[in-house]
Amino acid sequence: MGLNERQMTTEDGSVEAAAPRPARILEVNRLVHTFGDFTALNDVSLSANSREFVTLLGPSGSGKSTLLRILAGLELPTRVDALILDGHDVADVPANRRNVATVFQHYGLFPHLNVLENVEYGLRVRKVAKAERRQRALRMLEQVQLADFAHRNIAKLSGGQKQRVALARSLVLEPVILLLDEPLGALDEKLRIDMQVELLQLQRSLGMTFIYVTHSQEEALTMSDRILLMNQGRIVQEGTPEDMFDRPASRFAASFMGMENMFEAVVAEVGPETITVTADGVTFSGIWAAKGAPAAGDRVCCAFRSEKVRIAGDGAPEPGLNRIEGSLESRIYKGKYLDITYRTAIGPLRMREWDAHAVTDEAVRIEWRASQTILFPANEQ
Amino acid sequence: MFRPPTQVDPKGHGSFVLIWSFAALLPVVGLVLWSVLSMQNFRLVWEPSLQAYYDVLASGRWEVTVRTLRIAAIVTLIEIVLAVPFALWIAKGTRSIAVRTTCLGLLTIPFFLSLASRTIVWRGILGLNGPLNAVLMHLGIVDQPLDWLLFSEFSVVLGLIGPYFPPMVFPLFLAFALIDDEVLEASKDLGAPPSFTFLHVILPLAMPGLGAGIVFTFVPMIGDPVVPALLGGGNVIVLSASVQSLLRILNYTVAAALSVLMLAILVAIIGAAGALSARMARGRLA
Repeated sequence: MGLNERQMTTEDGSVEAAAPRPARILEVNRLVHTFGDFTALNDVSLSANSREFVTLLGPSGSGKSTLLRILAGLELPTRVDALILDGHDVADVPANRRNVATVFQHYGLFPHLNVLENVEYGLRVRKVAKAERRQRALRMLEQVQLADFAHRNIAKLSGGQKQRVALARSLVLEPVILLLDEPLGALDEKLRIDMQVELLQLQRSLGMTFIYVTHSQEEALTMSDRILLMNQGRIVQEGTPEDMFDRPASRFAASFMGMENMFEAVVAEVGPETITVTADGVTFSGIWAAKGAPAAGDRVCCAFRSEKVRIAGDGAPEPGLNRIEGSLESRIYKGKYLDITYRTAIGPLRMREWDAHAVTDEAVRIEWRASQTILFPANEQ
Repeated sequence: MFRPPTQVDPKGHGSFVLIWSFAALLPVVGLVLWSVLSMQNFRLVWEPSLQAYYDVLASGRWEVTVRTLRIAAIVTLIEIVLAVPFALWIAKGTRSIAVRTTCLGLLTIPFFLSLASRTIVWRGILGLNGPLNAVLMHLGIVDQPLDWLLFSEFSVVLGLIGPYFPPMVFPLFLAFALIDDEVLEASKDLGAPPSFTFLHVILPLAMPGLGAGIVFTFVPMIGDPVVPALLGGGNVIVLSASVQSLLRILNYTVAAALSVLMLAILVAIIGAAGALSARMARGRLA
């Protein structure tokens, strides 16, 4: 809210009508970036809307951090058709003349300055008068609940507090987009979960666009409006957290999003909603997650989550359920749950049992819903 | 008894202090003592007196002190101007490890040759019939060979630049290398042009390195006898030569008094520089 107020007030205090930010605040078309022979980003296009929380999710080496550095201007792209930020093409504009701010993985705080001076730094660069920059920095520190620490030495802060200083230091400049490079990676788990909530609240209350890099699918699912899943320098899939979690459309996406059970099958019949496949003589149904539609006889990949698997009852299977016989292979106690592996005709299948002390039988029938079984082409990564 | 390997035996501290007091403190104490004794017939007599200090100020020795300090200060400033960009480039500018290693390796070359043999080369270059004068005359910049090129304060300063370059570069390089790249990127990301980052981030964070560089160049230069002797040619008398001549005529008390004065000046300068750099390192002055 502080942000919107200030948008309408110019330096000399006169009030103008705030020009509304364009809905499409970032547009990247066909970005390629190479380091020597290595292609870090291969034909990447993306966009972000105003007030959106976009997450770049991917394993290390997938190019997500490089992409973020290019958005920040810390790295200039090898080749790009257009890199439009807030209505201007900034492809050749270096970081210090770009209105975006980055929260770095290790915060990048200035060790020789105290908390307040760190937050003031960007305003000092912009030659904001001392009294005003002090006031603005303090107001921002209040927003991240660090006002009492203004004169504290950086070295004396905890990880979570450093994180907030870094946030305040970037936010005080009112950037068009805030870029966050795995900002919670260095925090312990409890603090990470608190900070997730806090970051999200901050983003909503400031109405700012966040682009967030992480390798944690849990973080991405919790916080994002939209997730861009990256692998080997490409965006392999994008969608809402629900899309990404329930309908990953490739082998990589399925395994990265935590689908433990995956096997190959052949399409037997394409129905209006579900598709029937066979694997090692066993027949299953599932839904098609990728683009286009398969034809009978296509080789496909079939995946489902271990937490969707349960022990079947004795009666005949209900419609819409896949069922298979299995024998116990292993059970691993994980505290909150048990991870049980059953040997079946189509290979080992995992089941997550939420009663961590459940008694497991040697031979069982397990079942899971066809609507929770996803199918996608087998030949793609 | 089990002791973690990092923990030093307290007895070690004790013996260190003991050795250090004998090796470093005792001579200084002796020096101070000698400077307040008097001499009669080339003998020290146990009679406290400040005569030696009067002698230092009365004879031309005070000028020598000022000249020595001036030369050391000028050379130190030149070293800073040359070494800061060079060290910054090695530490942060080049990504190639081969280039970095080569540059740091080249800096050790001066240590292979004795200072005297390195310095004597300048005589040939700067002399009246040397190549420098020949080039200047050939280009028509001067009609007569320049006589101030050699055996002057100029030649002494020039001769000191080379040997005292590495001791300025190394601590600066270490200080620059220790600055986290992310901190520099954060500065850029927050809108700072390179000059602002240099003044407000790099320089304050490199203050310990600059301080060490000054100590390793300014202080030994004060006592350097070789370069002024070879390139000053008797025209540029510096402190070390003055002390040596005093010792030669067995004037121990004045030699001691001169040394004590020098020591006091050095301690004062280093103290002031330390306080200043501590303030700058907190980003207050810059």
